[in-house]
Amino acid sequence: MRGGWIIAVLSLLLLAWFVLNDLVDDWGRLEGGMDNLVIFVEESMWPPNWSVLEAQSYPVCENDIELFCSVGYLGMMETIKIAFVSTMLGFIGALCLSSLAARNLVPLYVALPFRFILAATRSLPSLIWAILFVIVIGFGPLAGVLAMTFYTIGYLGKLQYETYEGMPSDCLEVSRAMGLSHPSTVVSVVIPETGNHLLSQLMFMFEYNVRHGTVIGIVGAGGIGYYITTYLKFLQYDKVLALLIIIFLVVVVIDLLSLMIRSFVTDEGDVRRPTWLKGMIKLWKKRGSSSDAE
Amino acid sequence: MSIQQPVLELKNVDIGYNDALVNNVIARVLPGEIIAVLGPSGIGKTTLIRTIAGLVEPLQGEVTLQTNKKGGLGYIPQRLGLVRHASVRHNVNLGAKASIGFSKTMFEERRNRVEEAVKALGIEDKLKEPVRRLSGGQLRRVATARALAQRPQLLLADEFLSELDHQNVEVVIEAVQQLLKDGTSIIMVEHHIENVQLFATRIWIIKDNQLHDYSLKEWEQSLEEEE
Repeated sequence: MRGGWIIAVLSLLLLAWFVLNDLVDDWGRLEGGMDNLVIFVEESMWPPNWSVLEAQSYPVCENDIELFCSVGYLGMMETIKIAFVSTMLGFIGALCLSSLAARNLVPLYVALPFRFILAATRSLPSLIWAILFVIVIGFGPLAGVLAMTFYTIGYLGKLQYETYEGMPSDCLEVSRAMGLSHPSTVVSVVIPETGNHLLSQLMFMFEYNVRHGTVIGIVGAGGIGYYITTYLKFLQYDKVLALLIIIFLVVVVIDLLSLMIRSFVTDEGDVRRPTWLKGMIKLWKKRGSSSDAE
Repeated sequence: MSIQQPVLELKNVDIGYNDALVNNVIARVLPGEIIAVLGPSGIGKTTLIRTIAGLVEPLQGEVTLQTNKKGGLGYIPQRLGLVRHASVRHNVNLGAKASIGFSKTMFEERRNRVEEAVKALGIEDKLKEPVRRLSGGQLRRVATARALAQRPQLLLADEFLSELDHQNVEVVIEAVQQLLKDGTSIIMVEHHIENVQLFATRIWIIKDNQLHDYSLKEWEQSLEEEE
């Protein structure tokens, strides 16, 4: 049996190699590629230019803290805001549609059209949605929000209905036998039972939207991507690198946040409460009790 | 004397998934009756309960439920069907939700039903506890409390007394007495003869692909004869 698996994996790898070989017409291009990259990073990108965290010359900064008027902060905040709003709107939209697309919640003739709708929204990448909305409503964050909301509905909707379809059938059967309506079953049985997965998907989507905010900014849909495109146009790669580092740090913080939030939902699932968080909660409780005593 | 309307009527029903496990079932259940379904494993007891619950289509014949109120049918499956990640209160409240429609007083009514049900089952101190943290016996009490809060006209229970020790069985049976006072009928799958004798008024035995209907007395006599 194990030998069969090994042969299957090796055959697939071999097939992938042949396909790659077919795609690449000139392997000589790889020669010296690494040197080019090193020269590009050393001469144009490194070190990152942290002037992106200094106040812009225009408009005049009225805040005491200079950072709050910087390109890095303003761009990142706008990206986070776009990502947050579109994730929330998309999540609610996906919840409504996914419960009508899950085979164990509705009959096939209801599920199929909703699956088609979700597939259609998902098949256009957020960049194409952004271009469409920039054409319809013009440049700015609203186009970004709408683009990401539509993509989020399609993407989260699929993840959600697949989660519903994998949930235990006994509680659904009970609600069906008891005569609970479809909305009641979704709100009272399906969402609580799959809550941990839904939350995890929500946090993943938020992180995805923050990362993608950089891409949709390129077509003028707002956020940090707008500044990245501007610096790329003027060949200021050191500033681009600084902005990319900021995005990376934000993504790491969101990941930690996701870990923290999910640890409150379950105490036996895939996420345990981080030790530092346990320590903080203990300290906070201790402080509370000591101030009560005073 | 008025003739009681049955809450359930099975007319020439064949039960099974692809092939019939039980053929030509003819039976009716009157209000207040407690029916124990007996038979060896895999004979079709659970399939019979699922067919009555409307979860499996009968292969042939007609299943008529005469439950004339919202949430008139209660169901406790073998795996209990509890929402594991929700609290005890949430799970018991589901029963109340099934039977109480939208009205001005519905929240208060539901709360009262939940409180009465958990008190009857002795789990009032577990209201906020997530169901996944409870023991097997406590889980069965929660499932029973859900049915109690629902107050159905017909309750289908698949081995809901199994895994319970004698003391817990008594607590559950005492709580269910409240439903019986309201005229609820119960169809339960049960393996323990002592529970059947304690509780049931009629016995359905599935044997040789047929359902045999006995009164408790007839069944007890047949047991004595076998001995």
